[in-house]
Amino acid sequence: MGYFTAGNNKAMLLLVSCVAMCDSYFEKVRAELYLQGMLGHWSRRDVWSCRQQLAGQMQRPVSSLSLSPSVKVKLAGAGFQFTAELLQFTPAQLRAETALSQEEALEVLQAVRTGGGEEGAGAPLTALELLLQEEDFQSIMTFSSQLDDALGGGLPVGRMTEICGAPGVGKTQLCLQLSVNVQVPQCFGGLEGQVIYIDTEGSFLLQRVVDIADAAVRHCSLLVEDDEQRAAVTTFSVETVLSNIFLVRCRDYVELLAELHLLPGFLLEHPRVRLLVIDSVAFPFRQLFDELSQRTRLLNSLAQQLIAIATTHHVGVVITNQMTTRVRGSQSQLVPALGESWGHASSIRLLLHWQGCQQLATILKSPGHMEADIQYQITSAGFRDTSQSEQPQSKRPRTHSDQSAATQRDTSC
Amino acid sequence: MDWDQLQLGPRITAAVRRAELKSFRDVLCATGLDLQRLTGLSHSDIQQLLIAAAATFRRRPPVTALQLQRGECRSLESGLRLSVGCPVLDQLLRGGLHVGGITELAGESGAGKTQLALQLCLSVQYPAQHGGLSSGALYICTEDSFPIKRLQQLISGQSSLRSDVPPTLTSSLQFSDHVYIEHAADLDSLHLCLSRRAPLLLAQGLVRLLVVDSVAALFRSEFQADDWLERNKQLLTFSSRLHHLSWEFTTPVLCINQVTDVFNQSDNSLVPSSSSVSPALGLAWANQVMVRLLMRRLQATIYRSNESSTLRRLEVVFAPHLARDGQAAAVWREGVRGVLNSD
Repeated sequence: MGYFTAGNNKAMLLLVSCVAMCDSYFEKVRAELYLQGMLGHWSRRDVWSCRQQLAGQMQRPVSSLSLSPSVKVKLAGAGFQFTAELLQFTPAQLRAETALSQEEALEVLQAVRTGGGEEGAGAPLTALELLLQEEDFQSIMTFSSQLDDALGGGLPVGRMTEICGAPGVGKTQLCLQLSVNVQVPQCFGGLEGQVIYIDTEGSFLLQRVVDIADAAVRHCSLLVEDDEQRAAVTTFSVETVLSNIFLVRCRDYVELLAELHLLPGFLLEHPRVRLLVIDSVAFPFRQLFDELSQRTRLLNSLAQQLIAIATTHHVGVVITNQMTTRVRGSQSQLVPALGESWGHASSIRLLLHWQGCQQLATILKSPGHMEADIQYQITSAGFRDTSQSEQPQSKRPRTHSDQSAATQRDTSC
Repeated sequence: MDWDQLQLGPRITAAVRRAELKSFRDVLCATGLDLQRLTGLSHSDIQQLLIAAAATFRRRPPVTALQLQRGECRSLESGLRLSVGCPVLDQLLRGGLHVGGITELAGESGAGKTQLALQLCLSVQYPAQHGGLSSGALYICTEDSFPIKRLQQLISGQSSLRSDVPPTLTSSLQFSDHVYIEHAADLDSLHLCLSRRAPLLLAQGLVRLLVVDSVAALFRSEFQADDWLERNKQLLTFSSRLHHLSWEFTTPVLCINQVTDVFNQSDNSLVPSSSSVSPALGLAWANQVMVRLLMRRLQATIYRSNESSTLRRLEVVFAPHLARDGQAAAVWREGVRGVLNSD
């Protein structure tokens, strides 16, 4: 049922009737033909698209099910090609037909009925539905109004965002700020979520978290306007902020990979978690890898896992990356580390860098936002707008070094 | 490999044994498809296996920051800081050096880097209530010979530098017995020292501060300019050793670094362009450092009854918990002290 695109109402109608009328694939086809005759006002195209969809559902190759290879071989050996052929079998019958054991036969039939039980193999959606869904998705504000504007409200939940930058430019500060901001009560426009923070560099320092949390709590208490907000502020204290930050410290890449396997379980137990931070991915993966191909492979599967976590658990994933120098001939430039293929992993890539005495956040990559340079500063309270950044860009004094830096950045984009 | 400890079904355990996987590490580093092929297990079985193997690597379930604050998880947040030995400078560093991670102290020659490092070797020996870690220090020299005379001078000046500590305590500490000195003239002996002798001293509790003076000397001298790939590799090996020691024994690590002049201001997305010098060894090293401090020599001179000292400035370049700030300081007979504006 769920297989049909909900936009195609005619197809829905047809399948509803089909399912009501029969239970085997062949009967379904007969029913379809019958309906084709009955629903004379349908265009050929309607019927064709229905047939395609029916076939798509029922003619899934057995080899695409997530079964062990030996089972697949046995099924293929017995002549089964499509899942539809297995539907009407009982376990005992299947055993008789193939060389499967009782357990394996049960597993096969269960896989066929649940559509393989694959995670994320949800129903296809129309673009309209996706749009509506995306509007429901909230974003985590950064507390820099300019960066929030450029990103359409903040860093999106359900996606992966990468923050790159040289040491000391404010990557960790932004991560800590987001960890606090994700907890802002809903009546202040926040998510009231929790955060899991995976620290690989040892840079999660409690002193600093307390600073940022304290500033955020005070900021919210100044904004109180109505009773609802007054009530929310009483529970939004530094202590509750700290109790909603879950910290994991990983010392090498194996521990990081292990933690990611355990995360889905943790997220099921803690459904309020809306943000996963890994600060940084680069640190464990840039140490002592003799074989770069192995590193690339592990990073790819890590990216897959993170994307799966982001979408299935409705969690914003924020990771940090270091910068490295790439030498091309006689020219050298700064690029995010971990190689080219890693660049595809995240949907949004933010670069934090210095330009003169100003700190700039540049959106390097994003499917939905313009490339933009936003000035920010790190204050004792955390990640903020710069106070003089209200003035128009053209009025900023431009020095020679400013310009050369700008041209250099253009080439690196 | 003891696969039984994973508490998986006998079917999965048997399949894993047959597949001759050597360790839990191998399981985690292989892809799901590889594992299916090797073991002949189904997708869901492999998931079970991965989760069970992953659990063996987890030291503890996620802890909340509140638990850290309440001191319920000492191994992650000990709450300890290593005092510099001067309340003014400690204030700049919010209590002193952090006990986990690498702190770098960079500066031109004569800026007072070694002075501050020596002072830390003494201050680590005080008990925790006086900002120390009640243990000794390991001082690895790569540049010069160890300034033993200056250390003696500092020890005799401790009573006047640390007026906050009861004099009986200061006099009861045998400072010079607890500073272990290593000379490493080349990279090989440095690696040997860090992989053999340092863990031994740390494990016995004789030492709880590691000073490398300086990191730049070896890495700058042993490699040619076009050897930078090999140099970066060696740097990473070295820094991951330091990280490991620091985490394993919750020990502060202080690395002294030289500086290079920045001529080309176009390379300024790395550092704010106000600074004319930057610490040596480039980005590969900077990525490994948690706290970066810079010591500068200023043009002014400061006088005290019968002494004079060039004014210096200790600056925080970056640190996760510190603001970019600086503090004037001077090197006196008894050690490095912060200079307040009113002085």
